[in-house]
Amino acid sequence: MIEIEINTAIAERARGGERLTAAELAELDASDVLSLGMLSDEIRRARVGDTVSYLRVLDVAAGEPLDDALSTRAASCGEVRLATPAETLAATVDLVQRVRALLGAGIRLTGFSLADVASRPWGPLEEVLAALKAAGLDAIAEAPVDLVSPDQVAAVRAVGLGLVTLSVQRLDEGRLAVLERARAVLEVNPHLTTFAPLAREQSIATPTTGYSDVRLVALARIALPEVRTIQVDWQQYGPKLAQVALTFGANHLDRVAPTDDPALGWRRASVEEVRRNIEAAGFTPVEQGPA
Amino acid sequence: MSHDLDALQARIDGGGRVTADEALFLYRSAPTWWLGRMADLVRRRKHPEGIVTYIIDRNVNYTNVCVARCNFCAFYRPVGHGEGYVLGFDEIFRKIDETIALGGVQLLLQGGHNPDLPIEWYEDLFRAVKARYPSFKLHALSPPEVLHLSRTSRLPVPEVIQRLIAAGLDSIPGGGAEILVDRVRKLLNCYGKATADEWLDVMRHAHQAGLRTTATMMYGTVETDEERLEHMLRLRALQDETRGFTAFIAWSYQPEHTERGGREATGIEYLRTLALARLVLDNFDNLQASWVTQGGKVGQLSLAFGANDMGSVMIEENVVRAAGAAYCMDEVEIVRNVEDAGFVAMRRNMHYEVLGEPIFRQRDVPRQLELATAREAGDTSVPSELMNYPARSAAGKRQRAQQPPSPVA
Ligand code: SF4
Repeated sequence: MIEIEINTAIAERARGGERLTAAELAELDASDVLSLGMLSDEIRRARVGDTVSYLRVLDVAAGEPLDDALSTRAASCGEVRLATPAETLAATVDLVQRVRALLGAGIRLTGFSLADVASRPWGPLEEVLAALKAAGLDAIAEAPVDLVSPDQVAAVRAVGLGLVTLSVQRLDEGRLAVLERARAVLEVNPHLTTFAPLAREQSIATPTTGYSDVRLVALARIALPEVRTIQVDWQQYGPKLAQVALTFGANHLDRVAPTDDPALGWRRASVEEVRRNIEAAGFTPVEQGPA
Repeated sequence: MSHDLDALQARIDGGGRVTADEALFLYRSAPTWWLGRMADLVRRRKHPEGIVTYIIDRNVNYTNVCVARCNFCAFYRPVGHGEGYVLGFDEIFRKIDETIALGGVQLLLQGGHNPDLPIEWYEDLFRAVKARYPSFKLHALSPPEVLHLSRTSRLPVPEVIQRLIAAGLDSIPGGGAEILVDRVRKLLNCYGKATADEWLDVMRHAHQAGLRTTATMMYGTVETDEERLEHMLRLRALQDETRGFTAFIAWSYQPEHTERGGREATGIEYLRTLALARLVLDNFDNLQASWVTQGGKVGQLSLAFGANDMGSVMIEENVVRAAGAAYCMDEVEIVRNVEDAGFVAMRRNMHYEVLGEPIFRQRDVPRQLELATAREAGDTSVPSELMNYPARSAAGKRQRAQQPPSPVA
């Protein structure tokens, strides 16, 4: 038998879904990377089984033409996501309204990082969020735990908006620190169950390493028992790392391109490619939405 | 077919050999974790000091003109094609100067099967390199290129190897192996350039002549699991005989812009293949991580699945890039990845002898965030010394008739 080379008491507590201490997480973080992966994989299978979901997302970048072509492309998606808020609140509300009008009521419309919205001088956060909801937004796309406070996250729910995922903007503080921040957010917001631990921003000269990425995914799975869905961004991280991350505890691939866009190259484009990667990693693919 | 994983674990643990049947079972059925952990165990046994090596060299493709026309290759151009090129000796010297400036110690010199380059061109090039850079190494000409020279010069392979050694050849790269099974080679249209036996035979002669070589495998085209294994087992058998291979390098077929097309094998398949190679190739000391095809991240994770070498700090790469992958890691980045994975990073030569600590810790070396290419796009210049050598193809003859010979550099 191949044994997991990890402190047995910690492994047992992790399997039982107990809250590990900072010292225990630090010990896990320093353990053999494959043992950490084995433990995380075991916990993931016990908690959420061996399926991997994926979501086709139509990203709407700033300045993109808002026309019928957009609603045609949106038809095959589980979600339409607005990338960045406009200059002013009025312009952002207008953007949401126009996209909502194009899409009709049936398609989930999400958008923005909560950190982006909260940093604008647009008045009290709850009022801003309420205005976006009234304009037709279903959910805020993400809340980076390293940039927003637990109370700011709570404001999203308070106005009746959804939140697609908690995320991490940068890993400057280290893996354990972002996990502590995620825990703090989850304590105040126990209804949240999705986390995308891999940083949205990376240095080109020194990107995060493969070891660091899979360790963070595994630790997130182990440290946050309340989180059912650990996401990896398919477009940002690419098939190779995203697939390996599935074996280290991730169970959702976010931001799969809606159609086979040759501009992306097949490596990051097709749904067939996503399913093939999920299956080759030994999991069962399940598409989320369209409804 | 079923085997007892625990019994296999005990055997591998004790240094015992895995049979073909057992290897197939492991490849198909063993959990990825099992393969990774066992490969790691063998890697630790062979390299207990925790060193991961890399080499600073430059991958130079002296010509892209090729008559072999392998259908998985996006790099070659047929004879007479407007984008066909042959590098001039001066261009190669310039590349060597740049390589030395970055701490490099050798050229990995490979190219197409160009009918218009006779063996004398290679000999003159090697001699000229050695005259200018006596300690600089030439890791050059994969077995199919050696065979091609044997055919065009009508000399037996051992004689070609002897002549190249006399001119300055130091070692032979293991390219062109693809999958060493003739059924596969016929389907990939690379049977003509070298059959499985011919490839192995060139390596046998090279080893007998005292050269060390590497061995490669390109998987993920048409081969079955059994054929991937047969490839590894044929290498293992030759290694038992000669002990001439320094390292094994597996990479996934890169389908973009190739005649064959198709999809690339996934990252997990790479890690499983690598780990299996560590278990099957028990007589190979070194396994390279192919970050060039897998990217830096899965390239680094290879170190947990049996690899003990990060391959080359590539300064230039043309072949894989032509097929769609363009990852780049300079020395700083390779060393950062090695250390982040908990290993000690050391520079090596082709014989896997440690040369020392990273160069950038000893002196300033410019960061390199992009790979160079063989030539600037659109550069179709013809080197003047080419006119000194007889061409075989009609296009080559026409071209050389237009210009007079010039002194050899
Ligand atoms: S792989 Fe080598 S031999 Fe085959 S076509 Fe390409 S350059 Fe020629």
